[in-house]
Amino acid sequence: MSAVYDKVAELLSDKFGVPSEEISPEATFEDLDLDSLDLVEFALAAEEEMGVRISDEEAEQLKTLQDTVTLLESKGAKVGGS
Amino acid sequence: MLLEGKRLLVTGVLTEASIAFAVARLAQEQGAEVVLTGFGRGLSITQRVAQRLPKPVDVLELDITDAAQIETVAATLDERWGALDGVVHAIGFAPSSAIGGDFLATPWEDVATAVQVSTYSLASLAKGMADLLRKAGGGAIVGLDFDATVAWPAYDWMGVAKAGLESACRYVARDLGEQQTRVNLVAAGPLRTMAAKQIAGFSEFEDVWAKRAPLGWDVTNTEPVARVVCALLSDWMPAVTGEIVHADGGAHAMGGNVR
Repeated sequence: MSAVYDKVAELLSDKFGVPSEEISPEATFEDLDLDSLDLVEFALAAEEEMGVRISDEEAEQLKTLQDTVTLLESKGAKVGGS
Repeated sequence: MLLEGKRLLVTGVLTEASIAFAVARLAQEQGAEVVLTGFGRGLSITQRVAQRLPKPVDVLELDITDAAQIETVAATLDERWGALDGVVHAIGFAPSSAIGGDFLATPWEDVATAVQVSTYSLASLAKGMADLLRKAGGGAIVGLDFDATVAWPAYDWMGVAKAGLESACRYVARDLGEQQTRVNLVAAGPLRTMAAKQIAGFSEFEDVWAKRAPLGWDVTNTEPVARVVCALLSDWMPAVTGEIVHADGGAHAMGGNVR
């Protein structure tokens, strides 16, 4: 898994209290009990941590964690030390 | 500038797509000082999104159903400014059973929540801020509305709550007229905000506006609505109160499709 994926997983477990065993690339935000408000907050946190902005419209399209990682990577997300 | 030196309290900023965000941005650009409020889980989101405004702003916590929090906000603003020129009411909520579902089956408790947060809140916010507005010579309260004169697909009890808001606007205008406070609503066309995302069937509104608005309508542009809110907060609509201004591309005035 990529550094961006690891960072996404870390954000979800640290800031949103998602149990780490539930986190996988195929997991959807719905599977993880994250609602639209969580998704907005996640997008803001991802911007702070990785320096790329996810618009509301893009956030709305995200289903799985893999979608999220792909979007972040396509935008050139930077993860410290990688 | 339109709002030079105005001291404004703006509720309802959640994301950059929020109508209230555009109001806060334009108000700052037009010379106003702005304080925002945020609520519950959304508070930290509001605090982050607030950093994207042209100037730094403070975000106060405000659960509109909690009288003590309204008092605290008023006390904070009193200490800060001693008076308040304008309040933007961009507050609404309905439980999922009350929107896009089975209108006749919605339990009273959920309807009560929708009306408390979306309708009664105009009166409670007005009551809480009335003294500060009076000290500014009257000031203005502006709320956000969605045309409630007809029944819409999916909007359900939120539509009933908005009908109540339209009426409450007239009554609050009646009772605060003596202190020269103007109270008005802006009935917006449909916009893709977080609030809209909670409405299953929202796309049906978009279809209506695409066909019915003589001026056309962009569901992603909040600025046309925010400009009207700023106009109502300004000194340029001094004899207007108890009014509903439609910022909807003209759709409300048409009896059928124009394209």
